[in-house]
Amino acid sequence: MDDDRIERLLKGYSLPAVSPDLDQRVLSEGAAILGRARTRAMVEEVGRSLLQGLGFGYLAWAFDLVTTTDADYRVEFI
Amino acid sequence: MIRGESGAFADLYQKYRARLHQYALSLIRSRLEAEDVVHDVFIGLAKQASGGRMPRELSAYLYVSVRNRCVDRMRRKPELPLDDVDLDVIVAPPGDEERIELRRLLNRALLALPAEQAEVVVLRTWHDLEFAAIAGMQRTSVNTALSRYQYGLAKLRKELGVHGR
Repeated sequence: MDDDRIERLLKGYSLPAVSPDLDQRVLSEGAAILGRARTRAMVEEVGRSLLQGLGFGYLAWAFDLVTTTDADYRVEFI
Repeated sequence: MIRGESGAFADLYQKYRARLHQYALSLIRSRLEAEDVVHDVFIGLAKQASGGRMPRELSAYLYVSVRNRCVDRMRRKPELPLDDVDLDVIVAPPGDEERIELRRLLNRALLALPAEQAEVVVLRTWHDLEFAAIAGMQRTSVNTALSRYQYGLAKLRKELGVHGR
């Protein structure tokens, strides 16, 4: 059996199934985390609009300036 | 998927879950621990996304996260003897008699490979990763990754030969 033949043989196998329990855990916990983030973002937006309406828009601008973080790509090698 | 799009998160999970699960299985050789690793990696991603910090190279981030978490867990527990390992890293397609017949043999031969060879064979064969990407994950040269792949295939071929294939 040569390399091509064994590569073809191996590629014909598929990946083992993921348990429905894992799917459930990841999707429910992930949705909860992202849901809380969405709520937080909405509250921040309402607060920002309120400040703008009251004539304190510069406060929202200063808050954004201090708290905004750039997209972050970080991989830690252990 | 920045700040709370759970539909996009579910799509990403569906796209990568089977591959990352198999990769974790091949490294850590425990079904429960592989599931925990995949869980932790995706929850870590959700937390990053909720803070508006999505990794720029998502695929690389996911694979390296799985690898790091597996390596970390493997350091904390003794390696199981091969005879005590009962898991499937590959699944034969229904109706394919040849592959069904060889599945157990190949599965065992894959698990018997040195870890770094098994890793390259798995990532190259079922995940279509380039040797450069695999070498980056293993922190070695492309030539070494390629050699590990060839040695791994040679051992699998030999194992099939021993059994008259």
